[in-house]
Order: sequence, then structure tokens, then C-alpha cells
Amino acid sequence: MRALLDLYLKTMKLAIVERFQYRVAEYFYMIGMIAEPVIYLVVWTTIAESQGGVVGGYTAGEFAAYYIVWTLVRNMNIVFTPYGWEFRIQHGQLSGMLLRPVHPLHYDLAFFAGWKVVAIINWLPIAAILTLIFRPTLDPTLLEVGGFFVAIWGAYLVRSMLLWALGLITLWTTRVGAIFELYFTLELLLSGRLVPISLLPAWAQQLADFLPFQWAFGYPIEVLIGQLTPQQILYGFGMQALWILIGLGLIAILWRFGIRRYSAVGA
Amino acid sequence: MSISTTTIHVKDLRKTYVVPERDAGLKAAIRSLVRRTSREVKAVDNISFDVAPGEVVGFLGPNGAGKTTTLKMLSGLLYPTDGAISVLGHVPSRREKNFLRQITLVMGQRNQLQWDIPAIDSFELNRAIYRIPEAEFKRTRDDFIELLDLQGLVNKPVRNLSLGERMKMEIAGALLHRPKVLFLDEPTIGLDVTMQRRIRKFIAEYNHRYSATVLLTSHYMADVEALCRRVIVIHHGQLLFDGELSALARRFAAYKTIEVTLADASADLGVYGEVVEKDAGKVKLRVPKAETSRITARLLADVEVTDLSVEDPPIEDVIETVFAQEAVL
Amino acid sequence: MDLFRLFWLYLRVSVMNELQYRVNFFVQVFQSLLALITGLVGLALVFSHTNELGGWSRTELLVVMGVHILMGGVIRTVIQPNMERLMSDVQEGTLDYALTKPADSQILVSVRQFRIWQTIDIVMGLLVLLVAVYQLQLGIGVLQTLSFVVALLLGALMIYSFWLILTTAAFWVVRVEHVLELFQGVYQAGRWPVGIYPAWLQTGLTFLVPVAFAVTVPAEALTGRLTLQTLLGAAALSALLLVLARWIWRTGLRRYSGASA
Repeated sequence: MRALLDLYLKTMKLAIVERFQYRVAEYFYMIGMIAEPVIYLVVWTTIAESQGGVVGGYTAGEFAAYYIVWTLVRNMNIVFTPYGWEFRIQHGQLSGMLLRPVHPLHYDLAFFAGWKVVAIINWLPIAAILTLIFRPTLDPTLLEVGGFFVAIWGAYLVRSMLLWALGLITLWTTRVGAIFELYFTLELLLSGRLVPISLLPAWAQQLADFLPFQWAFGYPIEVLIGQLTPQQILYGFGMQALWILIGLGLIAILWRFGIRRYSAVGA
Repeated sequence: MSISTTTIHVKDLRKTYVVPERDAGLKAAIRSLVRRTSREVKAVDNISFDVAPGEVVGFLGPNGAGKTTTLKMLSGLLYPTDGAISVLGHVPSRREKNFLRQITLVMGQRNQLQWDIPAIDSFELNRAIYRIPEAEFKRTRDDFIELLDLQGLVNKPVRNLSLGERMKMEIAGALLHRPKVLFLDEPTIGLDVTMQRRIRKFIAEYNHRYSATVLLTSHYMADVEALCRRVIVIHHGQLLFDGELSALARRFAAYKTIEVTLADASADLGVYGEVVEKDAGKVKLRVPKAETSRITARLLADVEVTDLSVEDPPIEDVIETVFAQEAVL
Repeated sequence: MDLFRLFWLYLRVSVMNELQYRVNFFVQVFQSLLALITGLVGLALVFSHTNELGGWSRTELLVVMGVHILMGGVIRTVIQPNMERLMSDVQEGTLDYALTKPADSQILVSVRQFRIWQTIDIVMGLLVLLVAVYQLQLGIGVLQTLSFVVALLLGALMIYSFWLILTTAAFWVVRVEHVLELFQGVYQAGRWPVGIYPAWLQTGLTFLVPVAFAVTVPAEALTGRLTLQTLLGAAALSALLLVLARWIWRTGLRRYSGASA
């Protein structure tokens, strides 16, 4: 356990050192990313104002809060892309990972967690500017702030597990682009990234309840902006834990059979 | 040899790949979408050998002979199709942590170090991965830095290093956990001569210090000559030779080289054998091995010779002959 | 003319190259369909809560979406591949090969590369436009069609100039690919008429990144909003951007030759 902690700390440190070298690039990336929520925000604010101030339980100020917190959650959401597996296989990185006496999932989890530290630091000034421009209504309780802090890391883990499992499909076939795209489209629509879940039609909301996407995106935002009761916050933690476990289970199975296949046809 | 005294034990090892087969052209491409034809390729075909602790063995063969496939099976990256492997008492393909901690596989030009940060930070990561005790880690690291002349380089981002420097770093990183068994696949490929020599010296030193077992493939015979007393030659996945390097020359060289110094520089020796080199009075002749003594005798009788010596051809030529013979078979 | 001759030449090579990878065609159709569905879902969501957005009806916004997809297809078929190639050429020092060819260098670097499967988006955009115009039941006349085509061309020219200016920056700052990532983010703003954005953002989307002219203005032409002033303004701005791009290209080239010599 201590050895594992040591590994995590070392890897995180490494990620921080590496990402700090690319601060400029990171900023461009973030500004490009910010276009997306700003567009959603403008559209929904316009609608809220034309509808007498409230749409789907959100006022203009609450929309602003939603989409500004969105930018942080989106950053927390960046994990090893499933598209990266093809590169790992082609360039022999996967072989290198297999030679090490540690499951490579640990490395990815730790590396991206370290990156998050850099991302959050870089994000702060951007959040400040967005706050000045869009004037969000944000007045969280201490419980909500605490809950949010746990929920974003929960979201990070949920998405890490699911995308890792998804990426492992590459061990069977390299024609995986279509599957990934389908996944990302569903995620966009049903996670709270495009619009808050409560703005979806009732049937879509029910569908989203059976899927993992909102626990990795909309849920932490709703925690902080005060859309949830303490019971709902707790329920969310439970769902996050459940989906992390499901993801781990999927990874365990896919990894076992995938590596068996990989070792049979040529590493 | 019984298993207990060997580090590596390989028995009747086989690896067959199934590769899809397809003719060139669009029609064939479309046809292959519907019906795939495939063919079996025997990458490794019934190989057996043992390696004793502390031995350095050269693994020779032309490209595609099955060297890398064998190394990958030995390090646990590939499942054998058939046959048994034991390395340090482990079955490699199970990839037990205890096994992985005792081996390393270095492939030339395959980068395992983090590209954007100094190698010294990557080393720290390796310490955590392999759970190397702090004191031991520092000692080994500093030893390696010294031995490989890495002072001043370990603090530069890896991307700023030259190819040779990067390879030295790579090897240092791969050996920090002091593996007992080293699989080195072309560790010196693409490097200049000085750098090759440096790495060679380091491998020899490592082997000496920690009594590690080394299995090495290389295109550079200088590597093999400097490091390995024993060589294993494979071709088309089959084992052609396993024994001492000097025996390889004796067994496979079809020619010998006779070097003579003549009193009369103008004499033409073309009738005795193939003249490979001619410099003033010095002539190098290549003659079939079986006729060496007969030709030597004739030379001494016919021409005025001030000096004469008979030598085995350079190892490169021997290897070339081996593979050429095989191709004819 | 040099431009059309070279354009045709490289297009033919690209087509022949990419026809070998027909699977990519299906992949692209699938991706374009997903993007279209996402867009339609977005529209449906918005109009499940309101009847108009910034004075545009649902069908009118479908026109905007059609133009957005169409222009996106044009960008990804011609403009982006060429500019990406130019950028990597500058970084790797292989631009010399292009510069030694006996043709106008700017034209040459602008028509060397095509991603033909991306034309699916052009087709898709046109289909969306057809459906939207049919639903509008406005009876589009010759004049409107003509002004739409002109607005579209001007928009494409502006986007091209904008990209060329950005890419030419690679002569000075080698890593500009991030700027282009930024463009892709900002281009998404064109999904909606720029009129809905706050004033400062509108200015940016009009003059800094010409998304307004590339998407909103052609859409205005089809929905009977386009004024002659806007069209003339678009013509003036494209002329200005073209000249500016040409000038920056030449300056950058001099610098490149100086640096690599």
C-alpha cells in the first residue's frame, strides 16, 4: 500500500513537471475549450430571458454558474483517450507497460491526477474572468463545497474507468473510431455537458439515470450550484462508487482477455 | 543440465503466427472483406537451449529470423504456441510481479523514458515502480551515471538528448532495479562507434558486477565478439548453431585467408586463389578451407615468400556464409 | 489560370489516393450523421423551451445549421488540410520543395492537400439547407440564391485568409497548432446566429474570427434578412483580408528564406 502511494506521488509529480513545461499550450487548449460552454451559456441565457427569467429551474445567473463550474469539471474529465491505445500498441509502449511489475491503470490514474493539479491552477484566472463577465449566481454551503470537491474526483474516476475499458477494445480491432464516436455523442447529450439534465425531456432524463454519464459531469456541477438536497448528494456518491466498480470490473475482464489475445498475435 | 542450475531453459519452443494473406489491388482488397485467406508463419520453430547463470549469450540471425520473437517470449510479452520456457524458475507468460522485477528487456530505439522531463525524474518513477529501497537506488543510480558518463545529461529533458545519449539513459533506466536477466535487442543500433563501445563496456561491467545473465542480439559483430563467448544462431526460426563463437568460425567458414609477403612484388598469385587484397608485396588470398594446406605448400614451393600466415575469415563473413548456405538448402 | 490548373491537378491526385481507403468513406458518413443528429437534438432542446431565439425561428435556425455544416465541410476539405500541411512543412523544413516549384507559392501551398471524404459534410449541409428552405416556404428567388452564393464565397475567402494569416505566423512562432485548435472551438459559435451573443463577442466573431460572415451572413441571405450594406461590407472585408494575408505571406516567406539559408 505504501509502495503504491509512493508510485502515485512520483507519477503525479512527474505529470506536474511535464505539464508545467507546456503552460502556453495548455492555455490555448483551455481557451478553445471555453468557447463551447460560453456558446451554451449564451443560448440558454437568451432563452431564460425571453421566457420570463427561468428555464428548467435555472435563472440566467444559475446558468452562468452551471457553465462556469462546467469548465472546471470538463478539465477534471480529461483522462487517457481511448484513441491513445492504438498509438500505445503501435509504438511498443504497451509492451513496455507489460514488462513492469505494476498494472498500467495505476500509472494512467496517477498521471492524469497530477495533470489535474496543473489544470486547476491554470483554470483559476480563467474562472475569475468568466465570473466577472457573466455574473453567476453562486452561493454554496460548506456542505456543497465539500461535496463538490469529492464529487469532481469521483467524476474523474468514473470517466477514467469507463474510457479505459472502452479503449481496451483496441486490443481486438483497430477499427474502433465509430464505437468511440458513438460513445462520445451519447455522453455529450446525456451527461449534462450540452445542457443541464433537467432541461432534457422526461424520457431522456430517465434514460440518463441508467447510464453513467451524468455522474461524471452534470452531478458535480449540480452539487456546487445548489440544485441538490443533501440526500441527493449522498445518492450521487453512491452512484459514482457503483459506476467506478462497474468500470473496474469491465477493465479486469477486458484486460485479461485482451492481453491474452495481444500476447498471442504479436506484441 | 538440470533446470535448477540454469537461468533460462527453453525446450521445443514454437511460435506460429496466422497472417492474413491478400493480393495487391482493389479487387483483392474488396474480396478480402468477405473471405479472408490466411497462412501460418513459423516465426520460431522448435528451438531448445539453456543458459547458465552469469552467461552472456549472443543471439544471431538475419532480420526476421525469430530473434525478437524469442526474446519477447522469454520476457513474457508473447505466449508460445508450443514448448516450455522457464526463466529464473518462472513461466514468463504468467508475468508474475516477482518475475518482472528480476528481468529487463531493452529494445533499441524503443523509448520508455518520459520524453519531456529529465531522465533523473523518470528514474525516480522506476524506483517507485520496482520498489527499489532508497539507499540501494541511489547507489545504483550514481554508479550508472558514473559508468555511462551521464553527468550533466540526467538533468536535461530526454527530448534534448542525442540518440546515443538517449540510449545510454534508456539502458541505465532499464537496469536500475538490478535485474538478474537482461534481454537486449539491438541495444547499439544506429549509434556511432564510440557510443557502441561505451555501452558494450557497460554491459560487460554490469554482467561482471552483478553476475547477471545476458541474452543479446546485435547486428554489430563487434558487440558479439566483445561480449559473448557463446552464440546461438537462428535462421527461419530454426536453431542452426549453439556453441562458442570461435567454433562457429571453424565449423562454418568455407574459406580461409592466406596472407603472404612476397620478395618479388610483381608475382601474380591469381592461380592459387582469389586475391582479395594486394598492397605492395603483401597479398591476401581467399582459398577453400579444405585446400588450405595443399595451396600453402604449393605457394611455399613455387614463390619466394618472406612471410606467410593462415587466418579464419572475419566473423561477419562467416555469418554471411552461414545464412547463404542455409538459403541454398 | 494557374490557380485552377493546380487546384484540379492536386484534387485528382488526392481523389486517387483516398479512393484506396473506402472504409474511410463509411466512417466519415457515420461521423457526419452523428454530428448532424447532435445538432438537431440541440435545436430540438432549445425549441422545447422557447419559440424563437434572438428573433430566429426554428426553421431559420436550421438554415444557420445547414450553412454551418456546409462551411465546416469546405474548411475541412480544402482549407484546414493545406494549412496543416504548410505548418508541418515549416516545422520540418520541407517547405523548400514547394518553394522550388515554378508556380505562385501562395497558390501552391493552398491547394496541395484535400480530404475528399470531408465533402460529405458539404453534401450534408446542402441537404439540410434544402429541407430548411422547403419548410420555410418563402419561395427563394434568383436574386436571393445569387446573394447566398456570393455571401458563401466571400465567407470562405475570409476564413481562408484568416487561416493563412494564422499559419504564416508559423514562420515566426513555430508552434501555432494550438491557435488552430482555438479556431475549431470558436467556429462552433457559428452554429447560432451571432446576433444572440453579447456585443463584445459579436465584434470578435465578426472581425477577429470571421465566423459571422462565414455562416450568419449567408444564412441571412436565405432567410430574407440580408441587406445590400452587409453584402458590400462582406466584399470589402474579404478584399482587405485577402490583401493582408498576401502581404503577411510574402513577409513571412522572406523571413523563412532568410532563416533557412
